[in-house]
Amino acid sequence: MEEKDLTEKESLELIARMIQSSKENMEVGRGNRFLYWGYFTVTLSIVVYVLVALTNNSIWSCSWMLMFGFWGFISYKEKKPVVVTYTDKVINQVWRVMGYMFILTFIVVSILQLIAHYPSLSLMMPLSLLYVGIGVSITGIILQDKWLIYSPFISFVITFYMLTMLIIRGPSNSWSLLFGFAFGIMYIIPGHIMNHKAHR
Amino acid sequence: MLKELDPLLHSQLRLAVVSILMSVDEADFVYLREKTNATAGNLSIQLEKLSGAGYIETKRNMEGKKTRTICRMTDKGKNAFEEYVKALKGYLFIK
Repeated sequence: MEEKDLTEKESLELIARMIQSSKENMEVGRGNRFLYWGYFTVTLSIVVYVLVALTNNSIWSCSWMLMFGFWGFISYKEKKPVVVTYTDKVINQVWRVMGYMFILTFIVVSILQLIAHYPSLSLMMPLSLLYVGIGVSITGIILQDKWLIYSPFISFVITFYMLTMLIIRGPSNSWSLLFGFAFGIMYIIPGHIMNHKAHR
Repeated sequence: MLKELDPLLHSQLRLAVVSILMSVDEADFVYLREKTNATAGNLSIQLEKLSGAGYIETKRNMEGKKTRTICRMTDKGKNAFEEYVKALKGYLFIK
């Protein structure tokens, strides 16, 4: 493309063509972030479940801390996007807020656990699931993707189940598998759907 | 009487750049070069013209050893583009 003058008709055609071409590759790769998180969490949930079941020692639940490490790894490794749409920006802001809520909750429950000796770390799993579910659902509303909007309902049901069980019986190792299952539904399936749509 | 078309926008490459930037929040230099099929030198000159007129703003970031230029429309640029499209419609008798 050179710097040349255009007729009025050519101008309108050029505007339409450029807007269309920038729209086309907005969607490509959007599902990848969901897939990275989905597969990592499902794998980790199985690993934690097996380790705790085999050793009968709940200290292995601390392996969930690897989620923080993975967060850092993904943020470091992920290439800066060549184009940022308004939608991307809003979604990033939503997840930033969810991330802050997650960190804040972790700090509060850790303090309660250490100072008041209240077993509040058990709250981390249901609350994380709740935050993630809300984040996925809002992302779905922004992207107008029905699966993303409604699949987190499974995480809300699991969250209420965990909270109820916490009061009745206390935490259980099977929560890890439930957590992984919810991530599979909320992350892996929509991630593949988004990438499939983008490549069509 | 028909409104005169903004000469800064009424040029193939500059109009292409502005059209892309109107549909996204920000885009980097490489993306714009690929979408417009322009040479790096020519694109730089046109971006400077648009930036000089206050239609776009550019931000340079260091990424490793490379410099990355990110461009986005300013409010002035958005208004100019809207006026340009309005004027174009007048020429083409589109309501």
